[in-house]
Amino acid sequence: MTRAGGGRRRRIDWSGYAFVGFFTVPFCLFTILPVLFGGYVGFTEWGILGTPKWVGLANFREAFRDEWVGRAFLNVLLYGLCIVPGVGLLGLVFALFVNQGWPLSALARTCFFAPTVVSAPVIGLVWVWMLDTQFGIVNQSLAMLGIGPVPWLTSTRWSLVGVSLASIWWDLGLPFVLFLAALQEVPGVLYEAAAVDGANRAQQFRFVTLPHLRPTVSLVVTLQVIATMRIFSQVYVMTNGGPAGSSSSVIHYIYTTAIVRQLLGYASAVSILLFGAILLVTLVQRLLIRERGTWLGRAA
Amino acid sequence: MARARRLTVAARARLRSRHLRPLDVPVWLLGMLVAAAWAAPFVWMVSTSLKPAGQVMTRTIEWLPRRVVLDNYATVLRYPVATWALNSVVVAAVATALGVLFGAMAGYALARLRFPGRRVLFGLLLASMMIPGEITVVPMLIAFIRIGWASTYQALILPLVANVLSVYIFRQFFLQFPAELEDAAIVDGASRMTVFWRIAFPLARSSTIAATVILFTLNWNSFLWPLLVTFDEEMKTLPVGIAAFAPSVGTHTQLEGYGAAMAAITILSVPSLLLFLLLQRYFIEGVKGAGLTG
Repeated sequence: MTRAGGGRRRRIDWSGYAFVGFFTVPFCLFTILPVLFGGYVGFTEWGILGTPKWVGLANFREAFRDEWVGRAFLNVLLYGLCIVPGVGLLGLVFALFVNQGWPLSALARTCFFAPTVVSAPVIGLVWVWMLDTQFGIVNQSLAMLGIGPVPWLTSTRWSLVGVSLASIWWDLGLPFVLFLAALQEVPGVLYEAAAVDGANRAQQFRFVTLPHLRPTVSLVVTLQVIATMRIFSQVYVMTNGGPAGSSSSVIHYIYTTAIVRQLLGYASAVSILLFGAILLVTLVQRLLIRERGTWLGRAA
Repeated sequence: MARARRLTVAARARLRSRHLRPLDVPVWLLGMLVAAAWAAPFVWMVSTSLKPAGQVMTRTIEWLPRRVVLDNYATVLRYPVATWALNSVVVAAVATALGVLFGAMAGYALARLRFPGRRVLFGLLLASMMIPGEITVVPMLIAFIRIGWASTYQALILPLVANVLSVYIFRQFFLQFPAELEDAAIVDGASRMTVFWRIAFPLARSSTIAATVILFTLNWNSFLWPLLVTFDEEMKTLPVGIAAFAPSVGTHTQLEGYGAAMAAITILSVPSLLLFLLLQRYFIEGVKGAGLTG
């Protein structure tokens, strides 16, 4: 039976509302409404008690003058420069390795993906211990190479790098799996044809594999950039933003402002700025990469 | 056990297996070494957690405890870990069950049914993926405090039940679902709900498992929201309670040492790691599907 004609297709399934209702009600209450409410609160002055007082753009003016906000946005940029290439390159290399199908590949795949499934305190604490200046295994291993103790999490110079190392370990799973899936979809015939034409492995990678991976690269970069702009949990657990704000992030600043200093209006304003930044970065990326048929494009 | 083995076999089958040529051996060795290094933090975590207090801080790296003791676990259990774990189980289980159910229904409707507003809803879903969830957290916290629901199960669970990822996973599945299977039942006069419950949903078994493992992991690991909304020690979830072992957050580590901290996070990571090792294929398939759609 073909889906018989236009009449059938045009009929409205009223039961659709019953189906989506269960999802839509909590979705509106706990996602859409808070976003709108947060948008309003950003233009007010509000402590946890009392009522919000409309202050127009004052919060935003203050945010642009606030050196801690600037510091937090700069840190997020630095996190991006460490984590995005780290995760992207390692994810690709690990996927290429596992995709060879050599012995124990499945075991290697398990190792590479496993950190993704554990929670922030696990990541944070195990790395705090491993990066301990005196007794951590990272510094003890470096000492064997003659490299002096690095104060990973306790100096303003290194704390951001220390948190980035843990983040790369944590975040790698998704890009790794996406690259692996993309590699498995490259038709084997293409490699055979390339081999017949006398292409060596490097050339096969350059002319067969890489072109097929382009949509995945853009997907991975987009997802990781957004994830990194939202970095919080590992920062909170590992350094709580310190020392002296050197590893703080925008969400960490929002958290401190809202919970510790209880400036809800100001915290919401900074949230709006972050949302704006994410939107801007995403749009720029989509313009630069111009990949149709992937991510949002494919879903829509 | 047999079931788990079948899954591992299936997972392995997905990798093209190829023989190792002699020239590739060094590359293979290096790769496996890196894989081992990638798993090393977990080994180090468990190993440290089993060491007696005097042997945690050593001048050289000792991968295995000289003597295995459970002292650190006893120390951790002096904190209300059982209560936190119970909270986490309740929150993650209820939120996951509802999230999968609501996601399956919404995904089905968005893929199969035509009704006014369908596109608007889908657009909202897409747009909401661009909004960092953290932005909704402050206004939600205010709202929950105002209605007196801070530090309650409702507060911990409700914001997790509308999971966009779940909708995506099921929508993706139902888009490829053959209409013929349902048409026969519809002709026989079955309602849409009946068709969904009797035919469509039971056939979406793999999507259901994928959505369940992914949502459970997300919910089990959920951190920022429970951190904000729980004010009593007894209402904390496991990740939030255990985060107090972090030197920058609480004082537990100064008091108890790294051995106890490692024992605490071993307890915290066992459920998600176990779930992952047993259901690896569904994890990876689901994450892949979710990643490809958004």
